[in-house]
Amino acid sequence: MKKGGVILLLGLLLGAAAFAGFYYLGTAPCRNMMHEQQPELAWLKKEFNLSDADFARVTAMHDAYLPQCGKRCQVIGEQNAKLAELLTKDPTVTPEIESLLAERAKTRALCEAEMLKHFQEVSRAMPAEQGRRYLLWVQEQTVLRAQAMESRHKTDGGPQMMEEHHH
Amino acid sequence: MKSIQTPDNDEHLRAVLRGWVVDTPLPPRFQDQVWQRITRTEIRLQPGFWGSLIRLVEVALPRPKIALSYVATLLVLGVAAGSMTAQVRSSHVNADLGARYVQSLDPYRADTSQP
Repeated sequence: MKKGGVILLLGLLLGAAAFAGFYYLGTAPCRNMMHEQQPELAWLKKEFNLSDADFARVTAMHDAYLPQCGKRCQVIGEQNAKLAELLTKDPTVTPEIESLLAERAKTRALCEAEMLKHFQEVSRAMPAEQGRRYLLWVQEQTVLRAQAMESRHKTDGGPQMMEEHHH
Repeated sequence: MKSIQTPDNDEHLRAVLRGWVVDTPLPPRFQDQVWQRITRTEIRLQPGFWGSLIRLVEVALPRPKIALSYVATLLVLGVAAGSMTAQVRSSHVNADLGARYVQSLDPYRADTSQP
């Protein structure tokens, strides 16, 4: 029993050590990324095989873009607050509310346009093939995502919603 | 108390055994009853799951070929499971970081898939 028990235990220990070792090695790149100052940019570097020089350019663009994006978000936030205030005062859609909605839509459109310009700039800072892949992906995740939502709305809930409207 | 077995004692015992005559008749169905008892005892002694496992560890595992196969199997299983779990974990982290990148630029987007 003693010899058999030792072999049993040895097998289990080796199996557990192999699991832990390969898990540790396999997740090391992710752990390293998470310890970076900006993990999402470290991910971008790895995902799109950026050189140090490309990465430095992309990081500079990213850091320059964020404050402008923050300002636009602040404007949209103020417009939202004003809209909430107007809706509290008057539950009907007044010309002032209509004007504010149009103004907010304009700010949002400006925000999206600036975002697209940023993506294009970033894609140009990458090697050509990676830049194309980046642009396709980031557009799908942002400005083209609304289209995906619309098509889902048509196929999934569209007819049902139409029927509900008719009844 | 230990009995010391000497050749003389052994000879004496043999002589007694040779002279021993059993004249008591066996009870009826004696043989059947003996076999029934043997069967009952065998059934009682059959090992369960844990008994079989312990017997396997005692008898089979110390054999070099089986021991090597057992250790190698656990090693391969550990490597495969560790690699697969790491891959799953890494893809989750990558998806999460991709989403964080998009959200940092486009606060309207709550979820993102990987490129």
